[in-house]
Amino acid sequence: MATAEDYGFLRPPSNDDYEPVYRTPSSYNPLQTFTLPMGSVRHYQQQYGDMYFLRLARLKATVEKVATDAWGDITIAGESARRVDRVLDVRQGELCWMAGTVYMDMPLKPNILEDLTKETFTSAPPPRRTYADPSDPSATQIMMEDESGRIRLTGNLLLSTQLATGVIIAALGTETVNGEFEVIDIKVPDLAPQPKRWERDEATTAESKQSGKDASKGSGKIAFVSGLGITGTSSDTLALELLTDYLLGYTSIDGSADASRITRLIIAGNSLGASVTADAASAGSDNAAKKKLAPKKYGYDASAYNSSPITQLDNFLAEILPSIPVTLMAGEKDPANVSLPQQGIHRAMFPQARAYCAPPPSDENKQEVGWFDSVSNPWEGDVEGWRLWGCSGQNVDDVLRYLDFPADDVDPTAERDDSEARLRIMEAMLRWRCGVPTAPDTIWSYPFQTVDPFVLESSPHIFFTGNQPSFKTAVIEADAPFRLDGDTEMTDSAGEPTAGRVRLLSIPKFNETGELVLVDTESLEVEVIRFGTFAGQEEKK
Amino acid sequence: MDSAKFLAENVLNERRTVTYRSLSRALKVHANRAKQILFEFHRNENAKRAQSVHATYLISGIQKTPEAPATNGHTNDEDEIMQSSPYLPSSMPNQEIVSDAVRVASIILAREEDLEDAKAIFQSISMIHVYSVQSSTLQDLNTLTDVCREMATAHAQDDPLECGQQWGMIQNRNVKRRTGARPPPAPAAAPAPKAKAESTVLSKQSLQTKPAPAKVESKPEESQPTSDSQSSVKSTGKPAAPKREKSNLFSSFAKTKPPKPKAAESAAQSGVEDMMLDDASEDEPEELFPNTADKAPSANRESKKEREEKLKKMMEEEDVDDEEMRDADEELQRELTPEEQPPLLPSKPAELKEEVTVQGGRRRGKRQVTKKRTLKDEEGYLVTREEATWESFSEDEPAPPKKKPAVNVAKGKTGKPGGQGSIMSFFGKK
Repeated sequence: MATAEDYGFLRPPSNDDYEPVYRTPSSYNPLQTFTLPMGSVRHYQQQYGDMYFLRLARLKATVEKVATDAWGDITIAGESARRVDRVLDVRQGELCWMAGTVYMDMPLKPNILEDLTKETFTSAPPPRRTYADPSDPSATQIMMEDESGRIRLTGNLLLSTQLATGVIIAALGTETVNGEFEVIDIKVPDLAPQPKRWERDEATTAESKQSGKDASKGSGKIAFVSGLGITGTSSDTLALELLTDYLLGYTSIDGSADASRITRLIIAGNSLGASVTADAASAGSDNAAKKKLAPKKYGYDASAYNSSPITQLDNFLAEILPSIPVTLMAGEKDPANVSLPQQGIHRAMFPQARAYCAPPPSDENKQEVGWFDSVSNPWEGDVEGWRLWGCSGQNVDDVLRYLDFPADDVDPTAERDDSEARLRIMEAMLRWRCGVPTAPDTIWSYPFQTVDPFVLESSPHIFFTGNQPSFKTAVIEADAPFRLDGDTEMTDSAGEPTAGRVRLLSIPKFNETGELVLVDTESLEVEVIRFGTFAGQEEKK
Repeated sequence: MDSAKFLAENVLNERRTVTYRSLSRALKVHANRAKQILFEFHRNENAKRAQSVHATYLISGIQKTPEAPATNGHTNDEDEIMQSSPYLPSSMPNQEIVSDAVRVASIILAREEDLEDAKAIFQSISMIHVYSVQSSTLQDLNTLTDVCREMATAHAQDDPLECGQQWGMIQNRNVKRRTGARPPPAPAAAPAPKAKAESTVLSKQSLQTKPAPAKVESKPEESQPTSDSQSSVKSTGKPAAPKREKSNLFSSFAKTKPPKPKAAESAAQSGVEDMMLDDASEDEPEELFPNTADKAPSANRESKKEREEKLKKMMEEEDVDDEEMRDADEELQRELTPEEQPPLLPSKPAELKEEVTVQGGRRRGKRQVTKKRTLKDEEGYLVTREEATWESFSEDEPAPPKKKPAVNVAKGKTGKPGGQGSIMSFFGKK
């Protein structure tokens, strides 16, 4: 094996001393936006309607402001647009605009009443690619509702505009003879004001900002990965081993300095493979009768529960944690609650990794942030001063089901095509100021009563979604210089000209693509590292 | 460290796969040196005898763009697509999506035979090193994960915070790990069945074992900043207290036996001691978070305690009828958080007697247990009374449930079962 270059390793052992490499420190300040109250304070009796009212109350003023600016002095055919306070106050034939919540009635949407009548309510509805009926697009109805009532929206504009249930919009148009509202134009709240970098950390830890900037002569990197999909079998973990080696600095791209710049790993959901919960559930139902008879023993029933995946995940975490802090978000397939916001996977699941968790909260002092932070999904927090907002993918997956697909596009082989749409949806969510618009309609959600945390009060710098079919990134910018009389919160005394830029990240499933996404902490530039094996002669045999 | 000998033994004789990391761990050398050792071994052995050792290589670098599947950002004109995309509400102003070419680096594992092919797909290679050596070509590269797993279990006791530098791991000065014994690498069997073998020695034993896990506790590195040492100081204090309480739990079982059998069992003491050490280590994970119960508001906890006490009472009342219920009862007691145990123990009367005979290694005997019997008396009241009865037991059976003060109170009231019948009898007695 004589190679022209030895890359430093293809040569006999030398006696060089290897300098210890130190990792760039991480500045981390998570927000507890999606942390549900503990124990007896967490109730599920509330009505979901409150969430819509809260959302409307929160965003109506904003969208009305946008609409007033756009349509305030608009006249069409000599008629000036009039603002209507309530949806039911719309007069027929009169040009007007109003703001409200979009509700989309789609033929294939899961419907609890239907399920009840069919008595199929015991099982979860089958996952659907789209809620629209491709053979009958007209079956989809778009309505706008507010506290007073609902009005059906029509018009050609709606065909080219994608909306989803739960989005707050303002619509300009007239009521037709049929009592429908013919839409001419639509306005959305647009990007929320964006905090400045280090905004939250400035007051508290000024020096951490300094250390974050100085210690890394260059810049650090934030690593994102999602969909590790550990199933506990040996077949799926080789890429994971390579990932581990890379993160720990054993194998690096440009000398060992590269991986040491990664300050934090964010795992965006679905760390465990699909088969885990499904198998456990089916096994559980089979053995239910048997289990009742058997006297209760300690631990779990090995026939009904396979601990191997979670053990593998624990091993993985415990191996990388000595070197790199980890933020672990729950995901659709993880052992956490199903309804959003999913709460962090309990540390009891990680007998080894939990040594790096934060100590249990005590009354006297504030909960400190753990080196290993098992967080909610969606999750919001500051990393290296940047505001991050991310979800494990359910939000985008579900909004995608509201989109029209051409009838021939329903087969799942066209998977590749929707990655653009997914990025579009992510942008739209930011402009809707709602991270999970379709909760609680088609995504299970906690019935929030006092606040709708899914409303984006501020735009993040990095908006990421996990478990997407492929990697995608883009940068979106807010509307051109914000109107001074615009959003009240927008009047930025520092005179920042724009609301800033948002980096969108669609993070692929690691177990399918083997891809790790790195974001530079200074420039927010993105790079991807792909781990894999070379399919050589052995595989071709 | 004779690396050549180690490799010859493992790869040639035992036909194992050795990766650079397993070599690094086994010989305690830097990972980069391990890569070189593997390379040299591979070269030397193949020079002696061709094809005697096979290697896999890890190649990192930038792949040629056409080879990149499932990614984009290279040549896709995203701007174009963005503009034509119908998915955005037309009202969204300034729909500017700035997309940029994303650098995609690859880390690819390839077999020796495929090395040249694999290199061909790279546009530029920044590094190649030997990943593993084995005596025959790997049919399935995934078997390498088993090597990694074996390595992890074989060297589980190495603390990565201490050895990381030796291995060439990227160090982190800010790492926060809570002290406390490290959990066993593999999930051990539940400690439950062992508990019944405990005797009076146990209370002493557990006291002795207490310092042991403390030694296992890894000390935080001195280089760590003050914030870490603070947190570690905080947490070091905690595990000690619940451990003592834990030993009380054991001593409660111990008290079910008289001092007599102590001598008989002292022969088995050493064995028990080992067992106890095992137990202690298995209990450690629970003690990592000794204050979890504090999380709940104290009022909440009170009510929980009451509830549990009620439950226990109910369970015990059913003891007479149902043999299996005692298991459940015991289980319940074990599930109690350690904090709730100590107040119950001191008031526990040592009234239960026990006779044990050891026959052919099996312990059999009789013991006096207090059982509750609930009767309906003449006037239709339900009277619960406690009776001391003898029952035989073998070591297969768990120790009888211990009693609680709540029961004693009840006993005082209903001590004379007939007394409840008429108030006159109460006065008459005096």
